[in-house]
Amino acid sequence: MARTPDLLPGTLDLLILRTLQTDALHGWAVSERIQQISQDVLQINQGSLYPALHRLEHQGWIEAEWKVSELGRRAKYYHLTASGRRQLAVEAQEWERMANAIGRVMKLA
Amino acid sequence: MTLNDLKLRARALLRPNRVERELDEELAFHVEREARKLIDQGMTPAEARRRAQARFGPTALAADRCRDERGTAAVENTIRDVHFALRTFAKAPLAAFTIVATVAVGLGVVAVVFTVLNTLVFRVDAVPDVGEMYSVERTEVATTAPSPLTRPIFDALRRDTHVFSDAYATVPNIDLHVDGRTMAVTLVTGNFFQVVRVHPVMGRALTPTDDAPRSGNAVIVLSEKGWDRHFNRDPHVLGRTVLVDGAPFEIVGVTPAGFRGLEVGGPDAWAPLSQLGRFRPADRGREDSVGVEIVGRLTPGVSKGNARAQLAAWDSNRSAATRDRRAATVDLLPRRGTIPQPLEAIAMFAPLFVAFGLILMIGCANVANLLLARGVARQREIGIRLSLGASRARIVRQLMTESVLLALAAAAGGYLISRLALHSAVSWGLRTMPVDLGDVNLSVPAADWRVAAFLVAAAIAATGFFALIPALHATAIDPLRTLRGELVKNARPGRARNALIGVQVFASALLLVCAAIFLRSAVSAARYDPGFRTADTVMIDIDNEAKRAAMIQAVAGDATVAAYAAVRPQLLAPLRMAYAGAGAGKTPVVFKAVSGSYFDVLGVPIVRGRAFMPWERDHDPVAIVSESVARALWPSGSGVGETLRLEPDSALKHPGGLLTVNPDAPPDEGLAEARTVTVVGVARDVPGFRITDVKEAGVFLPTRVDAAKTSIVARVQGDPTLARQALVDRLTRIDPNMGSIITLRTVARLETFFLQIAFSVSLILGGLALLLTVSGLFSVLSYLVEQRTREIGVRMALGASAHAVTRLMLAQTARPVLVGLAAGSGLAAALAMAVLATPAGALISQIVHVTDPVAYLSSLAVIVSACLLAAWIPAARAARVDPMRTLRQE
Repeated sequence: MARTPDLLPGTLDLLILRTLQTDALHGWAVSERIQQISQDVLQINQGSLYPALHRLEHQGWIEAEWKVSELGRRAKYYHLTASGRRQLAVEAQEWERMANAIGRVMKLA
Repeated sequence: MTLNDLKLRARALLRPNRVERELDEELAFHVEREARKLIDQGMTPAEARRRAQARFGPTALAADRCRDERGTAAVENTIRDVHFALRTFAKAPLAAFTIVATVAVGLGVVAVVFTVLNTLVFRVDAVPDVGEMYSVERTEVATTAPSPLTRPIFDALRRDTHVFSDAYATVPNIDLHVDGRTMAVTLVTGNFFQVVRVHPVMGRALTPTDDAPRSGNAVIVLSEKGWDRHFNRDPHVLGRTVLVDGAPFEIVGVTPAGFRGLEVGGPDAWAPLSQLGRFRPADRGREDSVGVEIVGRLTPGVSKGNARAQLAAWDSNRSAATRDRRAATVDLLPRRGTIPQPLEAIAMFAPLFVAFGLILMIGCANVANLLLARGVARQREIGIRLSLGASRARIVRQLMTESVLLALAAAAGGYLISRLALHSAVSWGLRTMPVDLGDVNLSVPAADWRVAAFLVAAAIAATGFFALIPALHATAIDPLRTLRGELVKNARPGRARNALIGVQVFASALLLVCAAIFLRSAVSAARYDPGFRTADTVMIDIDNEAKRAAMIQAVAGDATVAAYAAVRPQLLAPLRMAYAGAGAGKTPVVFKAVSGSYFDVLGVPIVRGRAFMPWERDHDPVAIVSESVARALWPSGSGVGETLRLEPDSALKHPGGLLTVNPDAPPDEGLAEARTVTVVGVARDVPGFRITDVKEAGVFLPTRVDAAKTSIVARVQGDPTLARQALVDRLTRIDPNMGSIITLRTVARLETFFLQIAFSVSLILGGLALLLTVSGLFSVLSYLVEQRTREIGVRMALGASAHAVTRLMLAQTARPVLVGLAAGSGLAAALAMAVLATPAGALISQIVHVTDPVAYLSSLAVIVSACLLAAWIPAARAARVDPMRTLRQE
């Protein structure tokens, strides 16, 4: 299995928040969605996904709810809270700024 | 930390099972969902599940990291550690008990000292806003003592200054004989209870009307203590009367428990200051010049410094106006019902803390040694845990948790021990304290939250001392080698162990040397002969001149009194000095006035000439000198018939004994001007008591029993204690406020008494220290022998004799023991030198033989033999090791 490149520190939180922006998803769906959209470039290390989800939950940015899943058994679904939405906006803007800056350096330096 | 976070943490802590179950379910779902995806892609279910799990990684690790995110890991770990520790204790209950008991003894003795210190220094009185209370002091500027603050000064201060929102004046602790018992009464101005803002629980408080000059009321208010001690908490005590100088005083109120009138001990009752003449007849008619204490509540917004400046300015203005030449500066001292100089008290208590703390230290050293030994025994367990991935910090934490648990159990035990020790000490003190020293007002100091906090803090500090080093030692190992069953050389903490033994022996030596010194001094004090009769002599003070004739008649008429005489000043008062001159020579002497039968009553022989005749009285130009004075002034002559000139000199002051009654009392007019007298007799020099100022050597002038300000010494028949009690009963009927009656036997015993207390305390501490040291030494050596059985077996197989093996084992302990002994006795000697260097050193060294070589040698001998014995048994066991057996164990 190809080793996935390490994510930049802090970006995992951003990706999770962004993924949960529209729907409530369970943990597996979050990782699947990230993998699909990034066209398999980003593969989430499962061992860090759940700690990250729990951390975000403790920070109050996401909330969890037990719902019946597509498999017919119950699963823990996460959704963004109002403060999570604000946090996502802040982090997305920060990311934008960073990516632009790195892009400029790569072009001109 | 957000509210949400708190909610989740609380949930994790309160419903740990549910949270854990949900975590497992969540992670399991992920694996199952992944597997389903793979099955949908065409994989077999078994293969899909395997792949899914492989991709997810170890579930336990992910779960653990999720738990860390909860932020409750620390609490959960601690709970787990506590569970584990309790299981460990259950497996080795004897070791746990030994540790708890050892540390508890140490904590208990330290808590005893702290409880007393707490009572004196930290326990503020139950007075609202007690921090505002200050007493006004006049401090000495030059060598002259400042003139006292008096009631008129107090009235002026209240009238003229606005430093205090209000203030009261007080004359504290006047002893009153009520039904054969002494009651301590504090006189206060009528506004006292308003100033302190304390309301009685029963009846009423004193009022300014009660305290009106000449028209006040004869009333008293009991403290809770006085109500308890003198009236057995009688609910109908209000309205009862107490006879003071023949006049009935009505009890009008009882104050709440815990209120001590801003004194450390607190009186039994308060009475109006205007009644001073009743309580102290000697001061009747001169009430306005009697010294009072002034205590006030600072006006809010006035700082202490500001208040002091205002008072000083006011006082110097007033002194100038009244031409009081004895100028003094004014100081304000916080008045909180504790002793006024807490720092001095703490400094005084420091040596006690050290002495008692040594026991704690020895106990901790023992426990540390035990834990070091157990640490080696537990190396395998610790090795396994280290190799399973536990961090060293995690294991140290776990070991420390065990120790803190033990220490907290020890703190509880220490509390019980300290209460027990204090109760038995106080009841012992009450039983053995001589009754005639006045009413002994000992009570067991209460333990409060400060004592509890101190115990817990001390327990935790002790843990740091006894547990940290063993824990670090135990975990500094290589997991691989310990798993193979090898003991790592490094984990044999030989040096730490030796240091601990050395410390223990050091402390035992220090304490036992002290015990031996006190014992030897007590024995020699018991044998000491002051040179005059003490067994059947009683001292009687007459305070009230109006009652003198009746008192003397009562003494003369008492069947138990065989002979009596007068002496001025009273025996225990500070000695007066003057220059005695004859011809060209001049020498400072002690002088006192005595009546004719004085020498007979005290049994001091007149070696030449005669005693005073009954008709000789004050100002008759005769004198008796003691042999030393005669020898100094008339080296060749007998002294009798010579002329002597006595010149007073206010600069001459006798240094006073260790225990001088009322050393600051103003000297009476005794020798107002120089006198020339003829020597009629020479009395033998006697050494007198060492602890108080009773020295029967010097110049004696004549007086008579009816002369003012003399005290009585009487020889009684039969048991002096019974005779004294009979005299007290008879004389208090004449004057309920009479001064003290003390048997000289009591004074003579005081010296022994204090030495015995010191001996008992240091013996108990030293004995405990030695016991702990010896048991520690024994267990450490036994353990060492066990550890080295194989080595010993090899040595013996190679031809070492049993004797050589014993010597080897003994040599193990010799060095730390010897170093400890040298350090302990060296410090004791250094302390002795330090004591000798203090101003009171000469006096102390007469009574306490601080450099007594016998004391040093005997206590060292005791320690050495005890240590030898403790080491001998394991060493002998080592010598019995069978080399074949130990080698076969391989």
